[in-house]
Amino acid sequence: MKKVLLCLVLTIMTAYTVMAQSRTITGQVTSSDEPEGIPGASISIKGTTTGTVTDIDGRYSINVPGESGVLVFSFVGFETEEITVGNRTTIDVVLRQDVRVLSEVVVTAQNIERNEKSLGYTVQSVKGDVISQRSEPNVLNTLQGRVAGVNIGSASGSPGASTNINIRGITSFTGSNQPLIVVDGIIFSNNTDNTQNTLFGSQPGNRLNDIAPETIESINILKGPAASVLYGSRASAGAIIITTKSGSGMEGKTEVTITSSFNMQDPINYAPLQNNYGQGTTNNFVPTATTSWGPRFGTPGFNTVTNTQGETVPYQLYPNHFDLFFQQGTLLQNGVSIASGTADDNFILSINSTNQEGIIPETGFDRYNVQIGGNKKLQNGIDVGGSMTYVKSKQRSGTAGNGGSAMGQITRIPRSYDFGGTPFRNELGAPIYYNPPNTHPLWSTQNETFDSNIDRMFGNLTIGYDFADWLNVTYRVTADTYTDRRKQILRIGASRSPQGSLGDDMVFRSELNGDLLISMNKNDLFFVEGFNANMLLGQNINQRDFQNTRVVGDGLNIFGFDNVSNADVFTNSLETSSRRRLIGHYAQLNLDYKDYLFLELSGRVDQSSTLPANNNTYFYPSVALSFVPTDLFDLQSDILSQIKIKANAARVGRDADPYLLTSLFSQASYGNNLAQINFPLSVGGASVPGFFPQNRIGSMDLAPEFVTNYEVGAVFSLFDYRVELDVLYFNTLSTNQIFDVAISPSSGFDNRTTNIGEMVNQGIEATLRALVVESGQFTWESELNFTRIRNEVKSIAEGVENSTIPGNSFLGIAPSIAVGYPYGVIISTKNPRNDAGELLINPATGGFAPGVPGQVIANQQPDWIAGLSNTFRYRNFTLSTLFDARVGGELYSFGQVDLRSGGHIDYTGVDRHMPRILPGVIDNGDGTYRPNNIQIPAQTYFGSLGGLASEGAVFDATVYRLRELALNYNLPASLLNNTPFGQASIGVSARNLLFFAPGFPADPEVNTQGAGNIQGMDLSGPPQVRNYGVNLRFTL
Amino acid sequence: MKKIINYILTGVLLAATSCSDFLDINDSPNAPASVTPNVLLPAALAGTAFANNNELNRFGSTITSVTAGAANSPAAYDIYNLDGANFNNQWRFEIYNGSLITYKTLMGVSEEIGSRSYQGIAKIMSAYTFSIATDYWGDIPYSQALQGEENTAPELDTQEQIYLGGDGVQSLFDLVKEGLADLESASTINPGSDDLIYGGDLDNWKKAGNSLLLKFANTISRVAPERATQEIQAVISGNNFIANNSENMNFTFGSAVGSRAPVYEYTNVTAFRNDMMISTRFLNLLQGKNDPRLPIFVTAPTGSYVTIDNGFRGALPTPNTSWSRFSEYVTGDGEGPVRFMTNAQTQFILAESALMLGTPGDPEEYFQAGIRASMALAGLSSTEIDAYFAANPDEVTLNGSEDENHEKIMTQKYISLYGNGVEQWNDYRRTGYPVLADHQNAVGVDGTRPVRAQYVNEEIARNTNFEVILPNVRVWWDID
Repeated sequence: MKKVLLCLVLTIMTAYTVMAQSRTITGQVTSSDEPEGIPGASISIKGTTTGTVTDIDGRYSINVPGESGVLVFSFVGFETEEITVGNRTTIDVVLRQDVRVLSEVVVTAQNIERNEKSLGYTVQSVKGDVISQRSEPNVLNTLQGRVAGVNIGSASGSPGASTNINIRGITSFTGSNQPLIVVDGIIFSNNTDNTQNTLFGSQPGNRLNDIAPETIESINILKGPAASVLYGSRASAGAIIITTKSGSGMEGKTEVTITSSFNMQDPINYAPLQNNYGQGTTNNFVPTATTSWGPRFGTPGFNTVTNTQGETVPYQLYPNHFDLFFQQGTLLQNGVSIASGTADDNFILSINSTNQEGIIPETGFDRYNVQIGGNKKLQNGIDVGGSMTYVKSKQRSGTAGNGGSAMGQITRIPRSYDFGGTPFRNELGAPIYYNPPNTHPLWSTQNETFDSNIDRMFGNLTIGYDFADWLNVTYRVTADTYTDRRKQILRIGASRSPQGSLGDDMVFRSELNGDLLISMNKNDLFFVEGFNANMLLGQNINQRDFQNTRVVGDGLNIFGFDNVSNADVFTNSLETSSRRRLIGHYAQLNLDYKDYLFLELSGRVDQSSTLPANNNTYFYPSVALSFVPTDLFDLQSDILSQIKIKANAARVGRDADPYLLTSLFSQASYGNNLAQINFPLSVGGASVPGFFPQNRIGSMDLAPEFVTNYEVGAVFSLFDYRVELDVLYFNTLSTNQIFDVAISPSSGFDNRTTNIGEMVNQGIEATLRALVVESGQFTWESELNFTRIRNEVKSIAEGVENSTIPGNSFLGIAPSIAVGYPYGVIISTKNPRNDAGELLINPATGGFAPGVPGQVIANQQPDWIAGLSNTFRYRNFTLSTLFDARVGGELYSFGQVDLRSGGHIDYTGVDRHMPRILPGVIDNGDGTYRPNNIQIPAQTYFGSLGGLASEGAVFDATVYRLRELALNYNLPASLLNNTPFGQASIGVSARNLLFFAPGFPADPEVNTQGAGNIQGMDLSGPPQVRNYGVNLRFTL
Repeated sequence: MKKIINYILTGVLLAATSCSDFLDINDSPNAPASVTPNVLLPAALAGTAFANNNELNRFGSTITSVTAGAANSPAAYDIYNLDGANFNNQWRFEIYNGSLITYKTLMGVSEEIGSRSYQGIAKIMSAYTFSIATDYWGDIPYSQALQGEENTAPELDTQEQIYLGGDGVQSLFDLVKEGLADLESASTINPGSDDLIYGGDLDNWKKAGNSLLLKFANTISRVAPERATQEIQAVISGNNFIANNSENMNFTFGSAVGSRAPVYEYTNVTAFRNDMMISTRFLNLLQGKNDPRLPIFVTAPTGSYVTIDNGFRGALPTPNTSWSRFSEYVTGDGEGPVRFMTNAQTQFILAESALMLGTPGDPEEYFQAGIRASMALAGLSSTEIDAYFAANPDEVTLNGSEDENHEKIMTQKYISLYGNGVEQWNDYRRTGYPVLADHQNAVGVDGTRPVRAQYVNEEIARNTNFEVILPNVRVWWDID
């Protein structure tokens, strides 16, 4: 592509080449990237207007007057080189890439392109080439490890699984902490739409899944409220500005790009298992036991046993049930795009497909994207532009969660259970299993499915006009709408619904935005030279609609007929709709003094439909300063290229969710997974409706919540801009949180909505970029980023020390906010300790003394995260690596507890006959303690280490990872000369190739609850995967 | 061109100026802001039925050796383990946030429209539901409860205040009597099929109210015998209590998925159904009495009873489909019913009162009437019952000392309350009858059988008026 573009420049430039007299110098201009030569590089004689450009092979020829002449070689994106001619007739030049230029322009709020130097806040830009063709269909995952201040974690390796992203920590107790996503100016829903109980249900994806990575030109991450203030309330958790590829840079040419990639996915399996003991408990065989505490293989009398079905079966090791369950996944991605035009008149058409088969049987993800867009400056001067994208995607996943699901059972397979050889269904389809009413994992994957079918359209229409060279008025309308037709199938025999259940679930979202943008600029303001100003006035009208209608048919009659007409009872059906509107007015004034001092003042007033009418308008300001002392004091040297100091203060308000103001009634229901009723009751042939007060008390005094942020930092550019260090500190205070505070249940209600609480985030971000080596045809670029965030809940409500985060959680294992702790700690039962911190042992049993409920047992937030990316280029080869580390933070894991307390994991089989002693002390009753010396059997010992609702289920989630490895080869131009291809490349890439997790037997990057505020819980979810494959790209 | 821009600007300004309407869209389309008595009553009744028939029942049945725990919480109850993590759903979503707040709302809504009958039922059921809570937990929020935003951390009333009144606290007796007075008054609208207990039969509701007075008096009969005597005598002289099986205060669920009694779901459907079975001790008790109700009460899928002893920690009998469980007498085909108050219960209360308090009537007559009522409810014909009486005279006559006779009454009452663990545990704590041996492998706080439920952790965390009281501390009416 670049080549095509350059050929064009070449032709134009040649026309202006001035022919001079004296002698001729020839040579070739190359770079490490393009050793075959850079076409279109310009060569001029210093101090004259004389010059030429290189031809397609990078060769040039120029006449110079004498020996004292100096030739200036320059090309966009490269550092300018000056060479004294001397007596030479041949001068070959290797241009060095200019690292500074590459990071100069960023996209800020409202899609305004700005010079990074002028920003008093932090925007990090990620180019499309590190996102596309990376063995990864989810855009967010490709950003993992690449951006300071950003914490990204995917829920699992299941196809289409959701990915959580938080920029600069958690700032809201219950609001969304996911950043606002803006795609080409379109506010883009990244909702996960959990319409099911996330503990038992299947996990839908986050809707940024609907963007094909191939279509992305760049991603700009707006960190902190100062950067995102113009987007208002919605962006108080930061914003991610995605710009898709367009035809605007084509210089009139047309380019067709074809991409294709194929990847394999391997599950990252669980820890190794013991091979000596089979099903049972206390050394006895028990056919329904989920544990492997049975007799040792080969014990006389246990050559055969009677299974749950009454059959005599061999009692022996069946070693590989994980291998028999998981399969190799595949990921095929293809795309075609046609782009054409100039900055004023262009279009793009692209089609992309993704077809994935998961590592769990029956699961998959298919996505098809069609995009068309363009811009045109009409003859009367009006700029019009627009784009429209249609996405169709389908995700199929199974059930997950503790107990009755494929993933809940796979960690409870006794070592003597013939996983692959035992029939798991009868001729009618009904489940056969060793431990009914649970079912064989393969029965579950076939008969418990969840499909999500997305049809999505999003687009924008922009019309603008320059009334004067200093005044532009633009109106932009954007729309994003999708329906997700979901179907949950639990066939007759499913343990979650023994009589079968079908859910036809329709999720609809739509968001409309109208933005009026008036921009003005004036140079030499007040007749001060170099004092420039520009100002933006804007208005935003926003409407968001949501609807979820669900028909749930329970009590099925015919096995395998997955239609709700097959059901008897529909009382779980429901409808939830919401509409919210917001009107915002905003202004931003940018002042620039002599290109070394920049001041930005912003303010926004929002008026929201979700707040009480008398208190629904709120204002928030931001001020940002950027100062470049090296320019002011002329401090540049060979070492020091530039210093920029940045500082900002900002405050962003956030409105409530709809319908929180009043107390309401709802259809009555009682119970949980042990027993449940839902009104209307069907009693004696009649349907009896029932309503009761909701558990929440509304508040007519609700006010917006606020986030206030301070940030200071500096960017040091060294060694001719070859090294750049960006360090900053931020402090964010969240106040007036809109929260459902838990109240005494005997008040008749469980919680009340109110404004309370305070939370602080303090963080350090650092990014070090360097062009480490640049030698001939070899370059090595490196980028290291580091993030350390300390989050603390300062207060909740008066007298409230902790409160559960809204969402689904098990009783006794509550993801919570707790005063003095980071957001999202897990409150559960903790083993008691003495003052010295030693574990107390119950002298009667040798087990731990009875646990103390209501204690903080786990903190999911990491101490620090870091990423190191390296790019090595040699001739046509590019090798890129990405390591990342997530150090500290804890993970709560059901699966690992199952494997340990069930006697499945390898170390439980070592010296099993030997009694053990738990670490701890016994209270002597007189304030002294003696070491525990009570011997207990291995089964008791490993059981005592912790059941599901205990600190024993908490593991260190530290992980160091080779996140990505990619090798790319650009076919040399010489090979392509006689082909229709302008450019062609082939590459291999792999993700998650290696990891080291010292405290966890598997990959700790899992979270069964998916994207959202509840993190750090592995409640029997799918594992992570390793991806590797090949990719191709060529242009016509 | 400028014209176009002007149009856009005008449109934008118009939108902005009319924004008061534009933003006035915050009324929920998903949930009603007000409702009528006929939808509140069934929701509230179902909550009380759930409270009686779900986890509290499993605990009561297991702790009184009717059922035995095979796994999970019933296995913990079986060795006397009980703490603040238990009964969280019951306290919160079945009792206070479920039925009680709905009765309270029903009282308000029906008062506004002048429906005294709905008010009366709401008061009677409210009193009954509060009695479940205080009998399990002792002192509880009562006079200050259910006030929502007005009082988000209510103080507790003592169990003595709740039963006897005083200090501005209306007693449960007075609450029921107020409800009975409402039922006597003219009412604008009356319940019908929405009354899932009596189908709108207000006469039966009066009987139920009076029977609850008997039950409350019976509950406090050892700690406050005079008050109990006085209340029972008043009910006897009013002679309008449940005296016939057809008048039993039963809540009936349905037989379809999502409408079925929790005990049915737990026994037959849920993944946790293999956590509990019938206790060998209960089996032995009925076999020892040649009781003809045994095959009606207890299932024997393989033709013989498969049970375990309480606290048993060995290998469970296999397959679990062979286990003896609650029969259709308890579960129905999903309907239950949940028997809040029965004819047998009132007869046994009157028998015990006549014996212990000297209230009018012959203890043996009531005692035998109680057994007959229970056997008839189980489906035995009067011929079969007569035959049992003839063959087992010692079982059905009060021919011993006062204590022996008391034990006989309470043991027969215990059998007749099969499926209602709540009342079985209440009676056992109050009287110590029937005599129950300690369970195997007992742990608990100090190895003794729990005598109260521990306040749920949520109240301890959210309301400083609560403090932890361990399950080995007796409630007020449990004097020994």
